[in-house]
Amino acid sequence: MSLDLPDVVLQTVLLLLLAPLVSGCVKNWKAKLQNRRGPPVWQVYADLLKFFRKDVVISEHASWVFSCAPYVVFVAALLAGLLVPMATARAPLSLFGDVLALVGLLALGRFFLALGGLDPGSAFGGMGSSREMTIAAVAEPALMLAIFTVAIAAGSTDLSRIVQFAQSPDWKWFNPTHVMAFAALFIVLLAETGRIPVDNPATHLELTMIHEAMLLEYSGRYLALMKWGASIKQLVLMTLLVNIFFPVGLAAAGPRAVALGVLIYAAKLLALAAAVVIVETTNAKLRLFRVPDLLSAAFSLGTLALLSTFLFQ
Amino acid sequence: MNAPSVSADLGSQLITLMAALMLVLQLLLVVENRVLTGIRLYAIQSLFLAGIAGVVAFFNNAVDVYIVAALTVLGKVVFLPWLLNRQVRRIQIVQEIEPLFNAPTAMLVCGGLTLLGYIVARPFTGLERLGNNTLAIAITLVLTGFFLMFNRRKALTQVLALLTVENGVMLAAIALTTYGMPLVVEFGIFFDVLVAVMILGILVYRIRESFASMDTSKLNQLKG
Amino acid sequence: MPVDAILSAAPLKFALLCYVAGAFAGLVFFRFERAATLLSFGCAALASLCGLAVCAAALAGGMAAANPSFDLLPSLVPWMQFTVRLDPLGAFFGLVVSLLGLAISVYSLGYARGFYGRKNVGVLGAFFNALLLATTLVFLSGNAFFFLIAWEIMALTAYCLVSFEHEKDEARNAGVLFFVMSHLGTGCLILGFLLLFQASGGYGFDGFHALGDAMSPGKRDAAFLLFLVGFGVKAGIVPLHIWLPSAHPVAPSNVSAFMSGVMIKAGIYGLARAFFDFLGPPPGWWGVTVLSLGVISAVLGVLYALMEHDLKRLLAYHSIENIGIILMGLGAALMFLHSGHPVLAALALIAGLYHTINHAVFKALLFLGAGAVLHATHTRNMEEMGGLAKRMRWTALFFLVGAVAISALPPLNGFVSEWLTYQALLQGFGTTASLVRIMFPISGAMLALTGALAAACFVKAFGITFLAQPRGEHAAQAQEAPFTMLLGQGILTAACVFLGLFPTVFLKLLDPLTQQLTGEKLSGQLTAANGLALSNGALSGGTVSMLGIAFAGLALLAAPLVLRGLFAARAKTRLAPTWDCGQPGLTPRMEYTATGFSKPIRMIFKALFRPRREMQREYDFSPYFATTLRFESHVEEVFQTRIYRPLVRQVLRVSRRLRALQAGSIQAYLIYIFLTLLALLIFAL
Repeated sequence: MSLDLPDVVLQTVLLLLLAPLVSGCVKNWKAKLQNRRGPPVWQVYADLLKFFRKDVVISEHASWVFSCAPYVVFVAALLAGLLVPMATARAPLSLFGDVLALVGLLALGRFFLALGGLDPGSAFGGMGSSREMTIAAVAEPALMLAIFTVAIAAGSTDLSRIVQFAQSPDWKWFNPTHVMAFAALFIVLLAETGRIPVDNPATHLELTMIHEAMLLEYSGRYLALMKWGASIKQLVLMTLLVNIFFPVGLAAAGPRAVALGVLIYAAKLLALAAAVVIVETTNAKLRLFRVPDLLSAAFSLGTLALLSTFLFQ
Repeated sequence: MNAPSVSADLGSQLITLMAALMLVLQLLLVVENRVLTGIRLYAIQSLFLAGIAGVVAFFNNAVDVYIVAALTVLGKVVFLPWLLNRQVRRIQIVQEIEPLFNAPTAMLVCGGLTLLGYIVARPFTGLERLGNNTLAIAITLVLTGFFLMFNRRKALTQVLALLTVENGVMLAAIALTTYGMPLVVEFGIFFDVLVAVMILGILVYRIRESFASMDTSKLNQLKG
Repeated sequence: MPVDAILSAAPLKFALLCYVAGAFAGLVFFRFERAATLLSFGCAALASLCGLAVCAAALAGGMAAANPSFDLLPSLVPWMQFTVRLDPLGAFFGLVVSLLGLAISVYSLGYARGFYGRKNVGVLGAFFNALLLATTLVFLSGNAFFFLIAWEIMALTAYCLVSFEHEKDEARNAGVLFFVMSHLGTGCLILGFLLLFQASGGYGFDGFHALGDAMSPGKRDAAFLLFLVGFGVKAGIVPLHIWLPSAHPVAPSNVSAFMSGVMIKAGIYGLARAFFDFLGPPPGWWGVTVLSLGVISAVLGVLYALMEHDLKRLLAYHSIENIGIILMGLGAALMFLHSGHPVLAALALIAGLYHTINHAVFKALLFLGAGAVLHATHTRNMEEMGGLAKRMRWTALFFLVGAVAISALPPLNGFVSEWLTYQALLQGFGTTASLVRIMFPISGAMLALTGALAAACFVKAFGITFLAQPRGEHAAQAQEAPFTMLLGQGILTAACVFLGLFPTVFLKLLDPLTQQLTGEKLSGQLTAANGLALSNGALSGGTVSMLGIAFAGLALLAAPLVLRGLFAARAKTRLAPTWDCGQPGLTPRMEYTATGFSKPIRMIFKALFRPRREMQREYDFSPYFATTLRFESHVEEVFQTRIYRPLVRQVLRVSRRLRALQAGSIQAYLIYIFLTLLALLIFAL
């Protein structure tokens, strides 16, 4: 139970570098599916770099909260990422927090993101904050139920232990519990990362945007941190999904194993990204007040998953 | 043929999984407002039913169950959805009107019904061999099907709900008693439903003609 | 270790005397406002500091042997003793009352200035001291009679403080409602204690210990229900909560902070005392009832809080929510005791009690912040605030800390106690094979919903109050609160951070308490990695270290700073107006409002809220260019309209009938008394 500093650094770098790539892939593939050429997968890196170099314009109504928020959002997402096992079966900071801490950190980021949206006093920002917090509130029970299901099976909320349990022979691949919990978490993933049936990440259409509305007043390096933080958060949630439910190829130790683990992990991640792309392309955005219906379906799936844990012995 | 005992566990897992997916589809059907999507969901649900029949047939070497599976695919995955689709196009409905309970409440009710189904099926869980615990899902399908039937007002959705009830009955039949249940009975159920749907289809059309609506709650206008 | 010296009654007596002195000082010097303020609140601060030391030392010392006790006053009647007794449970709550008393007294030194020339500050100080004294005695009394007397003094002084600004209708009505509900509760308590008396033959709390075995199941259940209602009224459990959201906001803010932070905890203290100390091994349905009530209170409390745009009412509703979370811990503990898992019961109890002190600290902090805002803007209506983060930097910072803590976000204390609650609920799933166990994860999911809604609510509360442009004149001219007010908030902020980052240090203090109530000591099991991490003892199914998270967060802050240095070294920052869609003149009226912020939630839960809105629009030529617009929106308080109002109507109808008895002639009354006497005598035969 000691801190492994190289692990921490490695995973931090991996999180920082991989997150924009995943976002870029999703954007590119989505365009391809819609018969457009789309931006190259590296575009997100270029965007971030450009944002960093630009001057910052801050609203004159905004207070110190506005400038603090991007740092909190970014660091909270990064920290949450260090609590998840990515390529290896042990999360580098698993001593510091379990899956509940991860959910808490993501909520912390969201809290400050919403405050940042309110601070400049623009109606768009307020609207975005209001919707973001509402959707998060209805998504949270579904998320927790799905997590509980897995945690109860593993007897622990420690993500490393959950993943190790998933690798053990006790794990059943075709267990309906996992299928339903996965489906619930997938819906939550779509909601939390602002994907299409819930929010449209590509739009700046005033009345439908949620996440973009909160970022409207951000510019320069603040915008870069916000966008980067959002893509890290997306990566963290996707990692959670693939590594809890498909714990193949998580490396134990040794550089070769780790390298292989990274490759397998990337493959799983891209497969999940492809699933997200397909959902995004084949569905239309829901009206705001239909979103709770979707999330209540996720909640029911979570409940069913939980029921199944002790009824399908 | 491999020895069933080795992979019987796999078979059991597959059956449980597919049964669970049938339940998930049923819940989606409860919240789905578009009739066409509803029909598609029903088709997928039937496909899983056929899959379960196939797995049961494979692990028991039961030829007659293969026939059931094939018939399910033909009748419920292909023919009935096609029939209903045509019906929908003919009378041009797209969306269900506001149901009795809104989606979250309906979900809550269905959750309760699922729990009830599990409780009712509990004493029997020790009895069956292969698809254990599918009885719970079968009962739940029947219960939620009934709930769906009175939650919706359009005749066509009610037909769809009836079909899911029937799927529940079939699931119970296939997964639990298929080894003893004569093929004839299954044929009987199957064709009963087929005929019922066709009659209902015609009725739906007539209701629409006479009332310019498919809202069955308008039938109370028939009172003198 | 001079534990005995500390526990010897002297310091405790000194603290109690200080309260009395403070009360008298307030009354004597009421003509000299400054002196009255300084003396009464100074005495209160000194007394609290002393009480804090006594209780902390007592808990840290382990309290192995018998609970030290002494009689405060000579007893007048044989069975009526004024016994002060320091046992672990009482000491823990004494710690809470003293910690908050200290911070609030310091704050009041500045806050009371707002009343100079307007109200009698001496009376405020006197009642404040009396309230603190009575509350302390509630926690430390070792005798049912003394307890009830302290309980009533607490209620009466609180009533006087609620209606302190009695020239306002709102304050008087709230006071009366509080008074009525409070006495309803006291009535139940008296009956409950009488049942206990019947079984034990005395009124001493020592004699009540584990009395449940000696009672018949029927009486035990009756006592359970009576105590649940009696203490539940004080705690503000739904549906007995209706007095709380009207009484807390109208009181002066320092009193609101004390009421929300400590006084409703007296209800929790009573529940813990009755269920775990007195009534013995619980039947299964007790825990289920308490857990369900907790879930309902938590979810409904936060939902109603979201609908408020009165800052203090919003906070008051959050008290209901947090009482619900505490009850979830207590209910789970009862269920574990029933199923024979004392270790888990201790874990759940710790979760509940940890949340008790956490809620006390951050809720008092938030109320003090609200008081500072009120002081500066002269309104409780959030729609007239805004932009205060620039004008009241420190208050904003403290309020933000409180908001993060109450939203259960890491790394502050709210997260720690909710984490413990989650762990207790998760472990609960394996304790029983019956279907009841499905309640645990479902409660956990509802706790998650509560937490997320609370976060939404505090984004609203902080965002609308402190951020963006000021929405009203007073808000635009707001000034930072005086130093003592900031110091009071600062103490509580520090407590929030301490309780968040060092839970393992604090948990040691709870050892004697869980030992007393469940027979288990858990602090050793709950700490991991050299005491730096918190772990859930029973199965060590998870660890969390807020200290680690805080440090890792600070270290990771290097990443964006390095990136900034690398790429953004030459980037400049400039100020510009907020984007106004090309139509110059963005005014505060275009900002998002508190009502607008919570609209999606109002829509989603419209079955509960039954929102009603009226709009009147007058226009000259086109409805799109209205000349005047009147908009009204209401949310229905289901409990008030569906339960209490019909109930009150019935009571009034019955009393109208009974009025015939009230003939107005003395003879008639004498006859009533005589007949009653006869009836009693015949009954006694």
